[in-house]
Amino acid sequence: MGTKKNDILQGTLALLILKTLAGQKSMHGYAITAYIHAVSDQLLRVEEGSLYPALHRMEQAGWVRAEWGMTEKNREARFYSLTASGRKQLAQEEESWERLTSGVGKVLGYA
Amino acid sequence: MRRWLGRLRNAVRPGRLGRDLERELRFHVAERIEELRDAGMSAEDAARVARRQFGNYTAQVERTRDMDIAEGLDATLRNVRLSLRALAKSPGFSMTVVLTLALGIGANSAVFSAINAVLLRPLPFPNSDRIVSVAQMQAKTPQPHIAPARLEDWNRMNHTFQAISGYYTQDDSELSGDLPEKLTHALVAPRFLEVWGIAPQIGRDFSPEEEHYGGPNAVLISDRYWRRRFGASPDAIGNTLRLGQTSYTVIGVMPASMAFVQRNVDLWSVSAPDFPYARSRDLTWFLGVGRLKAGVTPAQARADLATVQAALARQYPKPDAEIRAGIEPLKERTVGGVRESLWVVFGSVTLLLLIACTNIAALLLSRAASRQHEIAVRFSLGASRASVAAQLVTEVFLLALAGAGVGLGLAAAAARVFQVLAKDLPRVEEIGLDWRIVAYSLICAVAATLACGLVPAIAGTRRSLAGSLASAGRSQVSGRRPAQFVLVGVQVALAVTLLAGAGLLLRSFQALGRVAGGFDADHVLTFRISASWGETGDLKRSGQTVKRILEAVAAVPGVESSAATFLLPGVPGTFPVELSVAEGRAESEPKIVAESRIGSAGLFATMRIPLLAGEMCPQESNTPGMMVNRLFANAYFGGAGAIGKHLGQPSSPYFPTAVVRGIVGDERERGLDHEPVPAIYYCGLIMQPGLYFLARTHGNPMALGESVRRKLHEIEPGRSVYEISPLTAHLSDAFAENRLRTVLLTFFALTAIALASVGLYGTLSYQVNVRQREVGLRLALGALRAQIVRQFLAQGMRVSLAGCAAGLGLAGAFTKVLAGMLFGVSPWDAITMTGVIALVMAVSIAASLLPAARAARVEPMQVLREE
Repeated sequence: MGTKKNDILQGTLALLILKTLAGQKSMHGYAITAYIHAVSDQLLRVEEGSLYPALHRMEQAGWVRAEWGMTEKNREARFYSLTASGRKQLAQEEESWERLTSGVGKVLGYA
Repeated sequence: MRRWLGRLRNAVRPGRLGRDLERELRFHVAERIEELRDAGMSAEDAARVARRQFGNYTAQVERTRDMDIAEGLDATLRNVRLSLRALAKSPGFSMTVVLTLALGIGANSAVFSAINAVLLRPLPFPNSDRIVSVAQMQAKTPQPHIAPARLEDWNRMNHTFQAISGYYTQDDSELSGDLPEKLTHALVAPRFLEVWGIAPQIGRDFSPEEEHYGGPNAVLISDRYWRRRFGASPDAIGNTLRLGQTSYTVIGVMPASMAFVQRNVDLWSVSAPDFPYARSRDLTWFLGVGRLKAGVTPAQARADLATVQAALARQYPKPDAEIRAGIEPLKERTVGGVRESLWVVFGSVTLLLLIACTNIAALLLSRAASRQHEIAVRFSLGASRASVAAQLVTEVFLLALAGAGVGLGLAAAAARVFQVLAKDLPRVEEIGLDWRIVAYSLICAVAATLACGLVPAIAGTRRSLAGSLASAGRSQVSGRRPAQFVLVGVQVALAVTLLAGAGLLLRSFQALGRVAGGFDADHVLTFRISASWGETGDLKRSGQTVKRILEAVAAVPGVESSAATFLLPGVPGTFPVELSVAEGRAESEPKIVAESRIGSAGLFATMRIPLLAGEMCPQESNTPGMMVNRLFANAYFGGAGAIGKHLGQPSSPYFPTAVVRGIVGDERERGLDHEPVPAIYYCGLIMQPGLYFLARTHGNPMALGESVRRKLHEIEPGRSVYEISPLTAHLSDAFAENRLRTVLLTFFALTAIALASVGLYGTLSYQVNVRQREVGLRLALGALRAQIVRQFLAQGMRVSLAGCAAGLGLAGAFTKVLAGMLFGVSPWDAITMTGVIALVMAVSIAASLLPAARAARVEPMQVLREE
């Protein structure tokens, strides 16, 4: 598989999901991809193949909580919401992302 | 922690997770199809595109699920797989380890199963910790029996017992069948079942009328008798049994667990406390049992009964003033006697397991060293030290698990061995596998893994990567491994400890066999004849019965003489009494205390105990007589002065005053393992339960058993003759526990020395292999082969000598524990210790000589060319 522009950097997916959920009460997987796709002006596309393993890993880690529920179209879906420890994790990841981007930015600035 | 639980849940319930996931993904695809259709695609195209975008459905499911499990379990599974492969590559090694561990863990679990059943498990009754034995204690005689009237008083006046009851047993003949059948019959006080807290499995308990004198005769039967006699039919209830002159109606069947206080009881019936004969406060017959109220300690109950007895002493100064009540938890009373033996055996078998572990640790060290290259390669491929060590430990754990499995089988088989070898062990019928034994074996396996596996795993993974790869199989000249020799030394030391203990027990046993008992036990047949306590009411008639039986036995061709007695000579038993002298005795002189026996006049002739002075008791006499032994005469009357004196307890119905007729030789009355003590022998017996009959025979005593039985059936058709066996069998049974202990310890000790010698042999062999190049070089440079042999031999000897020295130190501690079980040898017996050291050194030389000889056969040119 060749490198595509919209591939999401490993590790940032969790950050994106956490951030997405932070603004909502709860969302199902499809809504998360749609949201990220929309908010990033169609720049970022979350592969389903990465999304669900990531969601499950985050659930095991206790960052998100999952519950079965009904969508407005009356379909059965699994809704994810952020836990307290997920919020903490989000703060940490945001901070390290800031550091990374500012570091990379500086390097690029010099080059 | 939570994360691990979640993962574990995923691993064990992949089904649920898989279904959840599939539902979730199906929803996702459905949403995607809808979106594509909204964008104008046909339903068919939308579905195709959505699926393609999504990728393989099942692969998704798999991938998401594996995510969680892979991280945790996969590493373990990989370890297991790798370990199994590694172990399969060296089946010899694996078998050796599994068998060694199986032996260690199996023996350990077997002994633990005995400890569990006998010492740890509560007695099989509800709240059995509240059941106590209650005894009547008096200064002058040690017998624990309680007078029925007193038992009722204690039960009525105490505040700490739910109920106090009692029982006594006799062997009866049941006469309703074709032949008289001997049954063990327990006669119980009221409230008997209330004390045990159990009900009959079918039928009912005794009714209040049945517990009174003159009420209907009712009997409860044992589960065993119910199956044997009534084929376990419920119709057994209501049947009639005939015991002697009395008929009893069967009212219930006791559960099989009712094996207390005596395991062989077939029948229970009531001995009514309001029976006129039972009103006497002097006549005692019940062995007491009681159930404490909830929350009452034995100490509180003891204090309570002391108060009750003090009140009784005021009411009936004679005899109650001299009487106290004794209380002991029933379990303690049942198993207290074997506790020490069992723990000693358990300690020994634990030493054996330790040796097995040490042995395996040494083996593993050698193996780890030869696998250095493999380990180095794994390091170089990026494995962490922890993961390599984990894999090495996993290997050992798998072996230990297999060992524990086989060991558990051994332990299950051993339960049967116990039941054969130690049939007199209390609660032996309860020994068997239960979850505790399985858990214990597993714990053993884990402990063995840690003990054997950790050191080699740490040591084996410590080597520096570069050094190992560089030397690549080329063995260094100096390959000394102190750790392995320390392990071998430990094995030798532990083996010496066990051998010393076993040696001392064996020597005690030997000494016991050689001891002169003061009587001749060969060619003596013993048997019992059923009788009931009711017969003792007519003294004259029951005296005649004994006489008639003894005459009939003596008349059987091949019988030299016959006798009857309560306690068999040489079989441990003690019954001391305090006596007073009718002729008077100064206050300053010591109290007369003697072991008391009751026997027929022919006892001394039959046992070949010599008459030293005076005369034997006459066969028939109107004045009660007694014989005393030499120790008694010398201790209290300066020898012959004893003859003609009148001795007894003036007030007691059991020890009437009798005249001393003669003095006989000393014999080991209290058991072959006890020195003779002053003893008296009342002459003359009446027919009653518990008697032993003896017949001295010309030839093999057992050959006459049938003739004696037939003869007795002629003259006493209503009685059964049973327990026909030679006296020597009783003597050997009396020391069965002793023998079991000795046999087990000897077995463990021999296994231990075998393991230790294998360990020494293995370690030296490994040394020889590793140092082949060095040996080859030295031979090439002109060393003599004898020097090489001597060098390896000396190495082996140094290790075992150090082991022996340490072992002797350990043995000192071990034999101190054994001291109470020894007979005729000191815990520091020089012969035993020398023998043990000689044996260990001989075995060590043999184990070292083989590898040493192999070292000397090394061909220098070949070794050097190989490098």
